Amino acid sequence: MRQLSRHVLLFLSVCTCTGTLYAQDSAGIAVHGFVSQGFLFSSSNNYLTMESSAGSLQWTDGAVNISDSLGDNLHVGIQLHMYQLGELGGSNIMVDWASGDYRVNDHFGIRAGKVKTVWGLFNDSQDIDAVFLWILLPQGSYPIDHKSFYLAHVGGDVYGALSLGKRAGTLHYDGYAGQATIDLNDGYIKQFADIGLVFTNSLGGKTYGGDLQWETPVKGVTIGSSGNAQAIDGTAPTGSVHLPPTFTPSMYAKFSRGKFYLAAEYDREPINAILTIESAVIPFVVDGRSWFAMGSYRLSKKLQAGSYYSHYVNKAADTTQPANYSKDWVLSGRYDFNSYFYAKIEGHFLHGTALGYYSSTNPNGLTPNSNMLAAKIGFTF
Amino acid sequence: MSKTRFLILLLASLGSWSAARAQDVVLVANKGVQISEITYTDLRAIFMGTRTRFADGSHAVPVTLKGGPVHEVFLKNHVGEGPEEFRSEWRKVVFTGQGAMPKAFDSESALIEYVAATPGAVGYVSRISSQDGVKVLAAVK
Repeated sequence: MRQLSRHVLLFLSVCTCTGTLYAQDSAGIAVHGFVSQGFLFSSSNNYLTMESSAGSLQWTDGAVNISDSLGDNLHVGIQLHMYQLGELGGSNIMVDWASGDYRVNDHFGIRAGKVKTVWGLFNDSQDIDAVFLWILLPQGSYPIDHKSFYLAHVGGDVYGALSLGKRAGTLHYDGYAGQATIDLNDGYIKQFADIGLVFTNSLGGKTYGGDLQWETPVKGVTIGSSGNAQAIDGTAPTGSVHLPPTFTPSMYAKFSRGKFYLAAEYDREPINAILTIESAVIPFVVDGRSWFAMGSYRLSKKLQAGSYYSHYVNKAADTTQPANYSKDWVLSGRYDFNSYFYAKIEGHFLHGTALGYYSSTNPNGLTPNSNMLAAKIGFTF
Repeated sequence: MSKTRFLILLLASLGSWSAARAQDVVLVANKGVQISEITYTDLRAIFMGTRTRFADGSHAVPVTLKGGPVHEVFLKNHVGEGPEEFRSEWRKVVFTGQGAMPKAFDSESALIEYVAATPGAVGYVSRISSQDGVKVLAAVK
């Protein structure tokens, strides 16, 4: 009850404070923000470090950004973000992104600072609840408990668009290089701690990659491919982790026209890391293959409904074991009260335990299947 | 003389422009904008933020109405998006740090005033008069 009051109070206070802002725009300076409060109930198992089997409200997100255009070509801004997801996140305020963006022309631009990482359909926008129908994105591709690691890099991007002519559409590109860091409140840190590797300093490594997106001449159809290489090194008092640069490809397509939205994506994450715990050297090998297909329809101005299927399997292990796969059927609905307030509800029919479960929050083990009900209310301006 | 032709002449004589069809809008731009027509592809790209320049290379500043039937007609006919999808796409741009949302106005008069005073500005209204100090752009395929 105390926890419920805290979350509701936090949500209301942010709404009250920001309600008077309404995307302030003064002399070119723009202020935007969002806040959301979630609820998760699972029929069995505790999901995403929440006590979801008893119903949990430990799911709050909030961000505020300020930006300004300094002339026609230069745009600067910063976004601060705070999230609580079960035992992850917490009250720490993080810099979500902080960048300067110089667009020479429509064909070439440079973005530098802490920059959102473009990968697949949703990586850079996965924490912006307000723009999605879904409460949880397909977890095989966009694991919410690791979002703080995948979301951004410190470095630079080059980007632009090339027109291929009236009959061939437009090609959008983005290439980047920099450093990505796993902060101490991320799910990976908790997973390491669960096996005895307790990190007291952030870990991370170099990252580079790119995205190529073809806006086809067929109205509403976009096809794309991304690749990301990521290395990780970190030392804890009890051991270390080493991941050599690992390439993670993604291929995707989407169709968006009128009230319809369809999308599909295939990703692969081959991991070959070395964990050292005390004197033991443990190879950590995963060949993650994930794909999803989703569709939604806008029933009215305020109501949207949709469904997706998300599939994840670790091909490097026994794929018949629930610990090595995760298959999720999802039904979602969203109601927009107005331009600022919305509510969502979502049902998950989850088979397998490969994603989102932690041994420390499931001390009695896991059952292979779990149904879940998620709900969210949010405010954005 | 038919009633329709008479009406057209009457409107022209009043020095006013209005939407060619009841369910369309008038595209307006700052008088300094050199082009007089714009393709649907360019218009969509400019209002979705993937292009920042007109075909002649000059800087484009898209502006919108905050809502209402004219806003909805413009988005449907010229951008190919519903207002909810349009807002959502721009929120994605804003919250990923990739750009700034177009300035939005409560009224057509405020929009016209801004377009008239801002180099490169482009927007839409239901109708304009010759005193508005903006130019009309024709949308072409």
